[in-house]
Amino acid sequence: MYNMKRRTLLKTGAASLAASSLAAPLIAQSRSLKVGAYGGYFENSFKEYVYPEFTAATGISVESVTQPNSADWLVTMQQAASAGKVPTDISLYGRDTMIKASRIGGMLAQLDLSKIPNTDNMDSYFVFEGSEGPQGVGAMSWFSAMVYNPNEVETPASWADFWDSDLFEASLGLNTIFNSGLLDITAATFFDGTETLMSNEGILAVIDKVRELKPNVALWWNAESQMEQSMKNGDVIGGQYYLDVANLMALDGFPIAATFPKEGNVQDYGSWCLSAGTEKADEAAEFMNFSSLPSTQALMSRKIGTAPLVPQSSTDLTDDEFAFVSGSPSIKPAYEAYLDNETFIKESWDKMLAEA
Amino acid sequence: MNTASHDPRALLRKTAMTVLTTFIIVLCVAPFLLVLAISFGRKVEGAAWVWDFTFANYQRFFVGTLWPDEVTFLYLQQLSYSFYFALIASIFAVLTALPFTLTLSKLSRNAQAAWLVFIMSSLSLSEVFIVMGWDILLSNNSGLPKLFRETGLTQWLKDVGWFQTLRDWGLANPRNVKFKTSDFATVLTMSYLVWPYAVILLYPALSRLDPSLSEAARTMGAGRWTITRTVTLPSIRLPLLGTTLLLFVFLLGTYVAVTVFAAPHKQTVAVAIYSNVRGSNLNAPFGSAQAIMLLISASFCLYLGHLLNKKAEAP
Repeated sequence: MYNMKRRTLLKTGAASLAASSLAAPLIAQSRSLKVGAYGGYFENSFKEYVYPEFTAATGISVESVTQPNSADWLVTMQQAASAGKVPTDISLYGRDTMIKASRIGGMLAQLDLSKIPNTDNMDSYFVFEGSEGPQGVGAMSWFSAMVYNPNEVETPASWADFWDSDLFEASLGLNTIFNSGLLDITAATFFDGTETLMSNEGILAVIDKVRELKPNVALWWNAESQMEQSMKNGDVIGGQYYLDVANLMALDGFPIAATFPKEGNVQDYGSWCLSAGTEKADEAAEFMNFSSLPSTQALMSRKIGTAPLVPQSSTDLTDDEFAFVSGSPSIKPAYEAYLDNETFIKESWDKMLAEA
Repeated sequence: MNTASHDPRALLRKTAMTVLTTFIIVLCVAPFLLVLAISFGRKVEGAAWVWDFTFANYQRFFVGTLWPDEVTFLYLQQLSYSFYFALIASIFAVLTALPFTLTLSKLSRNAQAAWLVFIMSSLSLSEVFIVMGWDILLSNNSGLPKLFRETGLTQWLKDVGWFQTLRDWGLANPRNVKFKTSDFATVLTMSYLVWPYAVILLYPALSRLDPSLSEAARTMGAGRWTITRTVTLPSIRLPLLGTTLLLFVFLLGTYVAVTVFAAPHKQTVAVAIYSNVRGSNLNAPFGSAQAIMLLISASFCLYLGHLLNKKAEAP
């Protein structure tokens, strides 16, 4: 009996060996692409809704690679690039991380925009030009929005309401990382926006204003889940949170509502970037071209909750669908300040937080 | 002729030593040297960092990046809070584990084994799980504040006027009491994290306590408290000190509990290191410098503990 099994095993082994050597030329012919996306719900939605559509349209199969986020992935990719073997052909980066990668050098390959004609659909702001040419094509956008507990407070009309201790004493949840939007919000609400953050005096003035907010903050969060739990638990009754997740939570019946106050919400966006050293530049161009289609942008808005990078009019999104993921006005982060002056801003910000 | 070189046991011992030394060099010494080397590197604004040989990161640790125009003790403050939380939490853990372990060591063998297995198994819970658990236990709608509200304690506090005091202390919002963020929650969670270690470290010493000593004291008319104070505690002062020291050093690196439960002005070096090395900053040199400073401070504490031990050993 034992022998029989062993022999079957040997036979199957031989057969599979033969099969694999037979199949090898087939695999070499089929085209594939390794694409990175932030792990969890986000990546799963891409695998379920977006990549299959792309494969159907182009015949290129997608292998999804999990990225923890944008900034930590940059560290991984930097180490991988110096080791000579990169884990993805396309990575997803936030704008500031993309610029960092571009400045570090040797990480991002140049893109041939003539092979990605659909980028004409979006604002040129979303196509990133590095020092030697285009290096990133906008993938999707997201809002960090004002949220509040509708059972406890009226809809705030302005971010300035958060400074009112009669309304929000020890009740807000705000992001603890210096470049996560609160400086931009404060600059847009009380100063001249991005312009103010371009000088050290301006930065200190904005940080002074944030200092006044401290008694109203119950939670300085750095992981998304902390804010989610605190809104659900009633530990905080307002703050700053992702628009799409807030809307999803509201649909599930949790006490949270997102709103666009008169100053607007912070809009950030992610870009597809081609890894230096990959041989899949053509496949990657087809992927970026597909991703820039209004129909793909609309698909992502419906299935993943991201804001489209193309005008609503070019898509078939209804007003309700659009309002679920986007809105106006939009506050653009002061990326240049955060990049060129990051040590000063980080230390000044940390000092403000560290005061009793 | 050297007989040792032909002795197979000597050869085996030599090989084992070589393998062990290699392991220690590869797994401990090399990473440490790497961190040390990186701590002299230089940050490039808006990008990552490059190799260099500068003491700027160490200077920044003591006086901030704007020195000499401006001085900040932010990083020393973070170091002091690392010590503050680790010290209080380790002492609290040992003080509460002591009576428990004393009682445990007097139980039957089977009961002792069962308790020890139970306590050991709780070590399999990661810090993240434990912090999540306490986070829920201290939450407004599902934890201690809810108990305060439902039992009418919150209303009572409001009626007698003490609620305003709690608000002044940051332990309440206008609606209810709140325990996040607070020193209370931070120390509680950190002690909980190391409590099983405290029991396991104290257990061998306590189980070896000679019962005849305290019996002798009792026959001479000493009360329970007198026995504890004059017989039990002095005979276990070394393991007590050692346990506290070990837990203290262990707790210096606590990350999750501090990020979630400590107020922003009481964040520690461990949190700062992470935010520099990973996250949005990519300043590994400064993070490494902070790590080296934390290591030096921890070694200094261990050395002090060693001196204390020696003093205690020589009565």
